[in-house]
Amino acid sequence: MSDTVSTPVAATAAPLVKPAARTPSPVMEAFRSAIRSPKVVVGGIIVLVVTICALFAPQIAPNDPDNQDLINMLLPPMWAEGGDAQYPFGTDSLGRCIFSQMIYGARVALEVGFGAAVGAMLLGTALALLAGYFGGWIDRIISHFVDLWMSLPPVVLSLTLMVGFGTGVGNVILAIVLVDWTRFCRVVRSDVMVVARRDFVSAAKLLGFGHTRIILREILPGVAPLIITLFTLQIGIGVIVEAILSFVGMSVPADVPAWGKMIAGARNYMYQAPWGMMLPIIAIFVTVLGFNLLGEGLRVTLDPRLRKRSV
Amino acid sequence: MSVLTFDNVTVTAKIGQRRIDVLRDLSFTLGQNEIIGLVGESGAGKSMIGRTVSGLLPDNFSVTSGDVLFNGQSLLALSRTERRALLGRKIAFIPQEPLSALNPVRTIGAQFDEHLRHLGIDRARRHALMIERLEQVQLRNAAEALQRYPHELSGGQCQRVLIAMAFAGAPMLVVADEPTTALDVMTQARIVRLIAEQQAAHQTALLFITHDLRLAGHVCGNVGVMYAGDMVEYGPAGAVLKEPSHPYTRSLLAAMPQLTGPRRVLPALADNMPGIGSFATLPGCRFAPRCVVKDPVCAGTRLPQRPVGEGHWVRCSEQCAAGAALAEGALLPPPAIDMAAKEPAVAFDNVRLSYHAARGFLGLKTSQFDAVKDATFKIREGEIVGIVGESGSGKTSIGRLIVGLEQPSAGTIRIEGEDYVQDGRIIHLTRRDTQLIFQDPQSALNPRRSVLRLLTQALETGDSYQPESARRPFAENLLKDIGLPPDCLDRFPSQLSGGQRQRVNIGRALGAKPRLVVADEIVSGLDVSVQAHILNCLLDLNRQHGLTIIFISHDLAVVRYLCSRILMMHSGEIVEEGATETVFANPRHPYTKALLDAVPPENSDQPWPPVLQ
Repeated sequence: MSDTVSTPVAATAAPLVKPAARTPSPVMEAFRSAIRSPKVVVGGIIVLVVTICALFAPQIAPNDPDNQDLINMLLPPMWAEGGDAQYPFGTDSLGRCIFSQMIYGARVALEVGFGAAVGAMLLGTALALLAGYFGGWIDRIISHFVDLWMSLPPVVLSLTLMVGFGTGVGNVILAIVLVDWTRFCRVVRSDVMVVARRDFVSAAKLLGFGHTRIILREILPGVAPLIITLFTLQIGIGVIVEAILSFVGMSVPADVPAWGKMIAGARNYMYQAPWGMMLPIIAIFVTVLGFNLLGEGLRVTLDPRLRKRSV
Repeated sequence: MSVLTFDNVTVTAKIGQRRIDVLRDLSFTLGQNEIIGLVGESGAGKSMIGRTVSGLLPDNFSVTSGDVLFNGQSLLALSRTERRALLGRKIAFIPQEPLSALNPVRTIGAQFDEHLRHLGIDRARRHALMIERLEQVQLRNAAEALQRYPHELSGGQCQRVLIAMAFAGAPMLVVADEPTTALDVMTQARIVRLIAEQQAAHQTALLFITHDLRLAGHVCGNVGVMYAGDMVEYGPAGAVLKEPSHPYTRSLLAAMPQLTGPRRVLPALADNMPGIGSFATLPGCRFAPRCVVKDPVCAGTRLPQRPVGEGHWVRCSEQCAAGAALAEGALLPPPAIDMAAKEPAVAFDNVRLSYHAARGFLGLKTSQFDAVKDATFKIREGEIVGIVGESGSGKTSIGRLIVGLEQPSAGTIRIEGEDYVQDGRIIHLTRRDTQLIFQDPQSALNPRRSVLRLLTQALETGDSYQPESARRPFAENLLKDIGLPPDCLDRFPSQLSGGQRQRVNIGRALGAKPRLVVADEIVSGLDVSVQAHILNCLLDLNRQHGLTIIFISHDLAVVRYLCSRILMMHSGEIVEEGATETVFANPRHPYTKALLDAVPPENSDQPWPPVLQ
């Protein structure tokens, strides 16, 4: 007999609507629903690991990545024949520890990734808010500008900018921001337009709220989930672009380890010592995967339309 | 031989670990050429019945006892293929939202053709049959309509197409799930007449699901009243409407404002219909917590059906039969209007609002659409004025013009003597003294603000700025005015029911302490009891604070209850204006007359629907 709940029970004064327990703030709610998603958890763990590597590189790395040990050039990983336990993944052509280089490389990767993402986010979102909220000629000017800017091929544009600005991590960040802000602007603008047409924005105008207040208090919180998602994806893109630029030697100076530079160096010895290329490739792959998973998972959990309804 | 029989059907939902009966012991019989109405508020389970017939219940819902018989054959025992063979052919559906029910990327003709192909009609005959059926449902320019896409037709026209499709195969059973809810009053009358004609022509059995008890009383032979998954009363339409035996039916009828007869206060029931989550705590009669006449045994035990007349039964206890009918509310005095000759609160003078659309090559030519044509009227302080019209008549545009969200293309608007436009410049686009209550609370409430922050939004800036500490008591006071419990303050709109959201919406507008409020269709789509509460709330505010209310609606009975004066609008023009009772008793403009005729009268004996063009 199925245990349906229609057996008689002394149902005295059970309230129709249970009084709300301490309703959690939306941040807590978002956090709780976020950790239910496997993508967010896996992505989050990867990001956390990479961040710890970057922050605590001196403590984690077994050796100094700059230290050239010319006796032990091109050593294989320690489990292979001829390997040395001091260099867990072997050394490159100048005798530097590959594993330590990989860990230190996370610093540059994340520095460029976060820096570029923050810059692109600020520039793109600011213009998107203006274009989406005000509409009219402001929107037209900004949209045409974005269209024009987006028609420039991104890799060529960033290389040209690097040649113009000169090399260095700061300029790499600047180049990425100047190329990728258009993505933020385009996507966020359409979301801003949807939110700005909702009645609660008109309601705020009726209360005499000024434009700044409306944009910051009513519209920005509404598009924040989208911006967060784009931000995490942008970090992944930044990591890849940095790898490309350090591959061609236009990014970091000679004494700073970077994954792209590791690949460029190991390319010459690809057949004799393939492990030299594998590690930076895996590092880039895992980092970008982590950020992409996190971004995709956040997009689903933070978008109220995609959430499943609860009874 | 009955076409459709529900025999003690119980539908159970498995939610999480619990099993909840969402439909309990449902029994009724529908014979050939009969019409049965299922009436209930939102959440009562009426659509669930339609889904049980079609087999489209959600995954975790299942029929756990009883049987559904179609022509003597059990529907539940059929395999999916067998049931699919029946649907569309022998059992047809008319859905609630006509625009959403049609595929937006295919033409009407393509969809109708596919349907006829499913019915097994050969290609040669299809086109002619489509034209014939569309002409039967009085769709003008049938051949041209077949080439159009759903969004190019109005809601009423789409519904006609769906009716034509439903009856195309001469089905034995048609389930109409709230077919006129999304349509305005005049279209509703036409569509209902159409359905009745088609039903009579094909001798179909019709299951008519609606939330409007009066409408069901006119259309249906028998009416069943649903509440929280139970059928609480069932009987011939006339008997249920004239001698309602269940306290819920009585309160439902009493809470509906009437178009004729004396004005009396609408008694509003406390609380809401319990949602699925609360069913577990209500093993007996689910109406018991809100029942005026309460027998203590009602809440604990399942009540059997008790006959009260010829073919009329009620699911209520013996004691309640002798219980009092709902007390007649006191006669409502008309709201007092300050007729002192001072500046009117709102004065429109030859106002026109036009939109321009680009046409032609490169959008060089423009065409003009007049949303409001030559509107001239005055509204005095403390009045409650109704603006009535169909969708597209311009009533929302007038509301937005009053509060300043739109600027007139011509003419002048004076709010309390001040003109918005001075020397050609627009000053004071909006004023805090004039507020607008938007129609859709989903869109009007910022989902990221808690109720507390929504109600105190007016205090965040400007003249009425108050620091954070003072805001909570302000919000608590406001909650009393709109009738919400104080524990709502920390909730978010997504955690509230539809009626509660609408009340927060109203509270938000009142938080700015306006002197004039434009209420844009705020009670359409709400349950009758919630509607009654909100209307009473507005009347109280008008009496106590002298609030001027401009009430925009298409529901004439509601407007009659609330407003002392009305403006009738049609195609952007004000066609009639005057005191409510005068206009309703002696309508002069043919549009007003047609609108009054289109409302289902309270007396179910009176003939309706009328013949409309």
